[in-house]
Amino acid sequence: MKISYNWLKEYVYICLSPQELADKLTNVGLVVADIQPVEDDFCLDIEVTSNRPDCLGIIGIAREIAAAEGGNLYFPETNVGSAHVDISEFINVSVEEPILCPRYTARVVRHITVTPSPEWMQKRLKCVGLRPVNNIVDITNYVMVETGQPLHAFDLDRLAEQKIIVRKARIGEEIVAINGARRALFPDMLVIADGRRPVAIAGVMGGVETEVSGSTRNILLECAQFEQRQVRRTSRALGITSDSSYRFERGIDPEGIDRVSQRAVRLIKDCTGGEIAGGTVNIRSERHETKKIVLRMERLHKVLGVEVKRDVAIDILKKLQFNILNDVDNFIDLEVPSFRGDISREIDLIEEVARIYGYNNIPTKTSINVRGSTKNKVEVVEDTIRQFLIGLGFYEVKTFSIVDTAPLQAVNLWSDKEGIDIANPLRQEESRLRTSLLPSLINTKRYNMHHGTEQIKIFEIAKVYLAGAKLPHEKTCLSILADTDYLTLKGIVESLLFNLGIFSKCEWIIFCEPGLLRNERAARVQMDGITVGYFGEASQELRFKTVSCLTELDMDFLVEKSNFVKKYHELPQYPPVFRDLAIIVDEEVTWSSIERCITDTKTAFLKEVNFFDVYRGKQIPSGKKSIALNLLFQAIDRTLKMKRSIVLSKLSSMPSTIPLAQN
Amino acid sequence: MTEKLEEVKSNLQDETKTITTRKDAEQLKIKYLGRKGIVNDLMKLIPALPTEKRAAFGQRVNFLKIEIADIIDELITKVSAEVIPKIKTELFDITLPGKRPFIGKKHPITQTIDDIKEVFARLGFDVVYGPEVELEYYNFEALNIPTDHPSRTDFDTFYIRDDVLLRSQTSTVQIRIMEKQKPPIRIIAPGRVYRPDTVDARHSFMFHQVEGLFVDEGVSFADLKGVLNQFIKTYFGQNIRMRLRPSFFPFTEPSAEVDISCSICGGRGCSVCSYSGWVEILGAGMVDPNVFKAVHYDEEKYTGFAFGMGVERITMLKYGICDIRLFYENDIRFLSQF
Repeated sequence: MKISYNWLKEYVYICLSPQELADKLTNVGLVVADIQPVEDDFCLDIEVTSNRPDCLGIIGIAREIAAAEGGNLYFPETNVGSAHVDISEFINVSVEEPILCPRYTARVVRHITVTPSPEWMQKRLKCVGLRPVNNIVDITNYVMVETGQPLHAFDLDRLAEQKIIVRKARIGEEIVAINGARRALFPDMLVIADGRRPVAIAGVMGGVETEVSGSTRNILLECAQFEQRQVRRTSRALGITSDSSYRFERGIDPEGIDRVSQRAVRLIKDCTGGEIAGGTVNIRSERHETKKIVLRMERLHKVLGVEVKRDVAIDILKKLQFNILNDVDNFIDLEVPSFRGDISREIDLIEEVARIYGYNNIPTKTSINVRGSTKNKVEVVEDTIRQFLIGLGFYEVKTFSIVDTAPLQAVNLWSDKEGIDIANPLRQEESRLRTSLLPSLINTKRYNMHHGTEQIKIFEIAKVYLAGAKLPHEKTCLSILADTDYLTLKGIVESLLFNLGIFSKCEWIIFCEPGLLRNERAARVQMDGITVGYFGEASQELRFKTVSCLTELDMDFLVEKSNFVKKYHELPQYPPVFRDLAIIVDEEVTWSSIERCITDTKTAFLKEVNFFDVYRGKQIPSGKKSIALNLLFQAIDRTLKMKRSIVLSKLSSMPSTIPLAQN
Repeated sequence: MTEKLEEVKSNLQDETKTITTRKDAEQLKIKYLGRKGIVNDLMKLIPALPTEKRAAFGQRVNFLKIEIADIIDELITKVSAEVIPKIKTELFDITLPGKRPFIGKKHPITQTIDDIKEVFARLGFDVVYGPEVELEYYNFEALNIPTDHPSRTDFDTFYIRDDVLLRSQTSTVQIRIMEKQKPPIRIIAPGRVYRPDTVDARHSFMFHQVEGLFVDEGVSFADLKGVLNQFIKTYFGQNIRMRLRPSFFPFTEPSAEVDISCSICGGRGCSVCSYSGWVEILGAGMVDPNVFKAVHYDEEKYTGFAFGMGVERITMLKYGICDIRLFYENDIRFLSQF
């Protein structure tokens, strides 16, 4: 809402520079976004919150300043005098939709001369960004800016059958609005019609056929109240917004309408020499119920945390034009002015007092009660993982949860169901909730590739969204993309689990997801029969220049399984004995089956079985490989003395041929 | 013959002056002391001498030989010493740059959330989470946002179905926690939120918020100011000032926008603060009684405050980042700066 500094001073006496005024307004909640000098005046651009339509008129803003700064309010002249010819001679108004139009007033001014408006008015309108048109239109705009109440002037002689009917539009009707837009109207829209056709879209914009023009001699001035939602819906549906619709959508002062109408016709009479017809059309479907509220001083103190004196509170409320009925003891009984539709409860009054008292005058308390807070397990696990990975040179990334529907994005490791689509996406590129983080990491790798970073190690902790019953299942995942070989990233994942206190053994089961992971180098990782995640080398189809590995792990599972309870184990008193062994096996035999074979022998003192090399070459028959491993034996009570032969005999229960890996 | 010997010796002494390398010195040794050297040639003269002079001359040649050997050895030592620096193993250059281990970084958004959590943890706030895909009820109704409120339209909220949407604010978590838990409550809820804004330097359809909620008996606006002041001083610096402006949110009353003095210009006015000296960093207020009604709290007994801040905005202010898109491009050159 743009206001003129000089114009404002007409309603309230202030000794403030434009900047000082802006600061005062900001402090009461009317943020001044900009101050621009305009000739000998200043234009202040004020951000009015949606609950304060009363401040969409300069008088409303003057009221706030008067309350904050002291000083009297001055209201403009509204005396319209009396006339001989009654309005009923010229117009017949009926309201068919009293709920959508609770109040409709009309006045008639005859024998006007349409000319440019006076210089002073044009200057003020220009200052607040309105283009002067002619004296009638300018006066309706001027009074709207002054009071916040929109008005519309019709060319009386162009209204068919001397009728105004407030009704719903009929099928097939259309209108050309004064901005030139032709619109088909629908039966859920409220219009102002004459005897034949719609002449205005109620609360939104008038029609071009009945607009005031140079030849207009007699006018009908409409000043009404239209239901907020109705105006908003119609305005949106037709794609027409106006200063009127903006104000009607937010709500106008239902009790101020007649006064505003009087103010406008008085100005018209003064500026155009017209003759005001006697009487007024004033149709109202309901009486405005004055709201009564009680403010308890004790409650005021409790909510604000400061003892605002009773006199101070009463003074503030009076200046805001609340009608104090009773102010005995610890209660203030009052009536809410009709222009404050936003106030209906005690808490609303508390805000009013706080606003004018000054938020910045309320003390800043420096102590609160003791309450301990500990990190929850999710935080601990996430922190641990982040610290672990960044220590290893990984960067954490954050990518969008809403993705496109390209095939890569369709990767869904966790559910058979399709991803969840947004009903009203902005663009196709962001239309579906993702089911995996890996495609986003792949895109991040590509982005960096194109910006000169070839080698990358990144991870993200975020949710994937899996179709569920009412709400989707939001599963938090840890996904990693690293330009390393398979075993390096696998080792990192193993260490990570270890770091979280997860010691259960993982099974690595061959897995196939061709567009994403390289065939035969991808695994589903399982622990205690539950899938922990997926792991593998990036598919060649992704055309990376480097060898990259990907993994996506179930964070919810990691959080559940993690265990940070630590217990000291006494250090071994006696040294371990290491023995190395190489065995030649078929190519198909996996390490995990060899390891299982050895551990299944339950050999005494055998503490660890460690892989250290695989060899294929001259001495090894083709189709076979040599696996070198290292065995660690240890006893708690003595130094073991084990010869190689003893080791072998101890392992004698090991089958001479190791079965092919199952999985 | 004696002159002959003296001549040899003086010749040698002359020659040594021109020798600088070990190789030349060795050559000189061969020239004088070698099998076909000058000294041996002198020896060959002995048989031609008269018998009585032979012994004396032989003695003198031998003496000369020792002398020459000493001179040349000394020379060799000398010239060798001079070349030692060249043939010694390379010198260790202590000024070479160290081998730096490659360390990654947390995303700046995570860092900001961690910093915020840290401040509020010290004030007794627990961290809680809520779903991102939400029922309309939690995003609007329970937060006292009426059915016809503009923010409920397609223009301002992503919908999945009629009553299921992507939360447009983390305030939803307030309701979910209060439904489950009785006061006192002290929580913060960080997370992703979504709004159908076209992406540009200042807007993103996805961003992060941190919501805070404090409910107990006797919690006042003064407490709200105290807690936020503590946060602002800790996060932005002790010399940063705080300002509250009345504002409007459906779920708080009284409501406030909280500004801090511009950290770029110190409040004098610059482009970051639009020459006002203040920048808006969060919205806050006392929990509206209607919200307490929705979760069946006794609104007479309990009061509380809530606040919400945009994590990207705060991060941008703190580091002087002017394009929000950088957070989601994840350019390593960007991420490595924090």
